[in-house]
Amino acid sequence: MSLTTPDIREDVEFDTSSDADRPWQTVVWNDPVNLMSYVVHVFRQYFGFSVEEATRLMLAVHHDGHAVVAEGPREQMELHTNAMHDYGLWATLRKAPR
Amino acid sequence: MTDPHTVILEMTRIEAGHLADLVAQFSALLQDREASVGGAPSDPALARLVPDAYPDDAEAAREFRDLTETALLHRRAEDAATVLASIGVDTTKDASAADARTAHVVRLDPEQLNAWLRTLAALRLVLAIRLGIDDEDDHDEDDPRFGVYDWLGYRLEGLVHAAEA
Repeated sequence: MSLTTPDIREDVEFDTSSDADRPWQTVVWNDPVNLMSYVVHVFRQYFGFSVEEATRLMLAVHHDGHAVVAEGPREQMELHTNAMHDYGLWATLRKAPR
Repeated sequence: MTDPHTVILEMTRIEAGHLADLVAQFSALLQDREASVGGAPSDPALARLVPDAYPDDAEAAREFRDLTETALLHRRAEDAATVLASIGVDTTKDASAADARTAHVVRLDPEQLNAWLRTLAALRLVLAIRLGIDDEDDHDEDDPRFGVYDWLGYRLEGLVHAAEA
């Protein structure tokens, strides 16, 4: 065994459900003001979703109170959240729930 | 020849005048805030336009606000200025009664249309706060401001359909 070889422990267990591994999410919340047609338009224009996908997400926001519209690195989700605010949608970001 | 991407919006002169008034008030609201940015806005209408991005983390919410709010308000103000310029109504002159019902045509290129969509949606958010609308069914027939709110919704709906066409 060489003295210059680092002593690496092979038995370290990585917790795959740790906070660092979970992606971030952009969440859009229901509000009583924004028109359904407008919300669909925003999802299509900004995210480039199909009519079907944009409508599915809009309905999820409407019926479930909120919907995850994007998932990924924190910086990107902050950009999306900011963009949703530009349109007047009520958006927040969070770590993906376990 | 009209550019195929141009959206033509027809309203009456009095509608255009009222809308210009509303947008000018909206610009003033934004300017007041831009002059005193710091912390979450105490005015709930402004708070609705720049909501907390991190509802459960005050520190992260503050950082996000510090980084983004001024630029967001600036884009809002630019949108409002675009709308005012494209309405083409001189708000310093009162339209005569005879003038009020004459047709007023507004032509919007795609960029102007986007500014109109965002601004009409934002105006409705502000009005909804002022009117205390917490529920889609909240409505007071006797309050003329609800008429303005509904009219903005009608115009926004029309423009969304034009944008999606």
